[in-house]
Amino acid sequence: MRATKKVIPHIFLMGYLLVILYPFLFVIFSSLKTNNQDIASNPFGLPSSITFDNYVNAWVNAKISVYFFNSLYIGILAACVSILFAAMLSFAVTRMRYNKISAIVFQLILLGMLIPNNSLLLPIYGIMSKLGILDTHMALLLPYIANAIPFSVIILAAFMRSLPGEIEEAAVMDGLSSAGLFVRIIVPLTIPAIVTVFIINFLGNWNEFLLANYFLSNDALRTLPVGMVGFRDAYNTNYAQMSAGIVFSVLPVMIIYAILQEQIIEGVTAGSVKG
Amino acid sequence: MNKALRNPVVYVLFILPAFILFLAFFIYPVFTAINNSFTSWNGISKTVNYIGFDNYVQAFNDDAFWKSVRNNVYFILFSCLIQVPLIIIFSLLIANVKKFKGLYKTAVFMPSIMSTAVIGILWGFIYNPDFGLANEVLGLFGVSPIYWLSDKNWAMISILITNAWQWTGFYIVMVLAAILSIPKELDEAAAIDGATGVQRAMKITLPLIMPIVSVVIMLSIAGAMKAADIVLVMTKGGPAGSTDVMATYMIRYAITSFRHGFGNAIAVLIFVFTIIITVLYQVLIAKRTERIEY
Repeated sequence: MRATKKVIPHIFLMGYLLVILYPFLFVIFSSLKTNNQDIASNPFGLPSSITFDNYVNAWVNAKISVYFFNSLYIGILAACVSILFAAMLSFAVTRMRYNKISAIVFQLILLGMLIPNNSLLLPIYGIMSKLGILDTHMALLLPYIANAIPFSVIILAAFMRSLPGEIEEAAVMDGLSSAGLFVRIIVPLTIPAIVTVFIINFLGNWNEFLLANYFLSNDALRTLPVGMVGFRDAYNTNYAQMSAGIVFSVLPVMIIYAILQEQIIEGVTAGSVKG
Repeated sequence: MNKALRNPVVYVLFILPAFILFLAFFIYPVFTAINNSFTSWNGISKTVNYIGFDNYVQAFNDDAFWKSVRNNVYFILFSCLIQVPLIIIFSLLIANVKKFKGLYKTAVFMPSIMSTAVIGILWGFIYNPDFGLANEVLGLFGVSPIYWLSDKNWAMISILITNAWQWTGFYIVMVLAAILSIPKELDEAAAIDGATGVQRAMKITLPLIMPIVSVVIMLSIAGAMKAADIVLVMTKGGPAGSTDVMATYMIRYAITSFRHGFGNAIAVLIFVFTIIITVLYQVLIAKRTERIEY
């Protein structure tokens, strides 16, 4: 009786696990098959003869290496710059002695969290075309940096507020200026929060689709999500090759997730609650 | 002490970069969106004509617009009525098992860190009528093939399922964290008093996690109003506009048909509807789920 009671939750949870994981297996199996007929005749299992041609073809046809590095550098650069700017603002707002102005600035930034960002797609498109940077990576970098600021400020400011005031008193006694205080003392102490914010910002930029789809038209500039959709639209009759493309685009995130799962889960969920 | 921390030049220099970007990409766009929503501007020409509330009147008289609003509502209803109960059940199950807890948590969370575009492609394959996973599995039970994404009765539900598949695990992990932070003594005391597992879950755990469930609902509503990329990738709003949400409706008019003014009116409406729903939810429901201290 007790044994069956213990097994029942696992049956449901294993069922859920199957629903989550099997689609990935299905894609991996399909990517090893030669063509659509091969998938149709044996949909669930591994093919009798494994072929890696799809991976070679997908890598060449989909230019995955190009999209991958575009996404990587835009994601990292935008995340780093917004963290730098957000950390500077958070430091000024929480640690420097201008309480009234700081309160107003902070409240305004909080307001940004309420604005549904895809409703601003058109005006931002307008700004980009006025600046003449549509179809360059700047058209993604600037909005990505800006979009991440309210969230980053909320997390970083909360963290900096909790640092004890004695630290900076001692540092100022030793002759540090406020900028020196920021660089030498506050930033090193804020590293745990910075890591969290970096992961969330990077994943957000890495996965962003709307702006990347409408602000860039040059194929060589595309990011991975947009590039993959273009690849699907071009080769949507060859599912075996498309599956290989999906594997390529999912694999890096899977590897990062396998290594950093604790930090990612903690960061993403904590961030969304506070935000 | 105060001298170092009251340096106006440093203060301004530290605030400006982030603040200018914030003004340029949040505040200014809101005002341009409102301003342009009263024009018949096509997004390119130099001349701009103000036409009052015409864009709004036209949107309100357009059946396709209300269809897209309805699909946003479907997103909200699906997450509140179907996803939220599942989230609660599965997080209770995971919290109460001893083995594989970490495995379950890691696995269910995984889809939420992936790109929605790639997940849309993956599920497009699963929904393929000829050899996709969905029809192959249903075929084992003798169900005849369903044209998931090209049948207008099935397209919306297909998208909702994909969206739920991606995000349910994310919320499960949030609720799970709340359950695991409840002190063990409460549960143990009830167990000694003879309460069954189900009773304890219903009478002790559930009331204590209501605040976080409320956050989950709030985030689902925000997510539902933002939904756009999943629709664009899977169906582009089709077949025949049956899966359009407000954001994709806006994009169709503004970018594809060069009706920038009209698109901005839709953007303002998305903004207004989101605020109305958020405020209504906060006032009517969230207030009643008070925080419980333990």
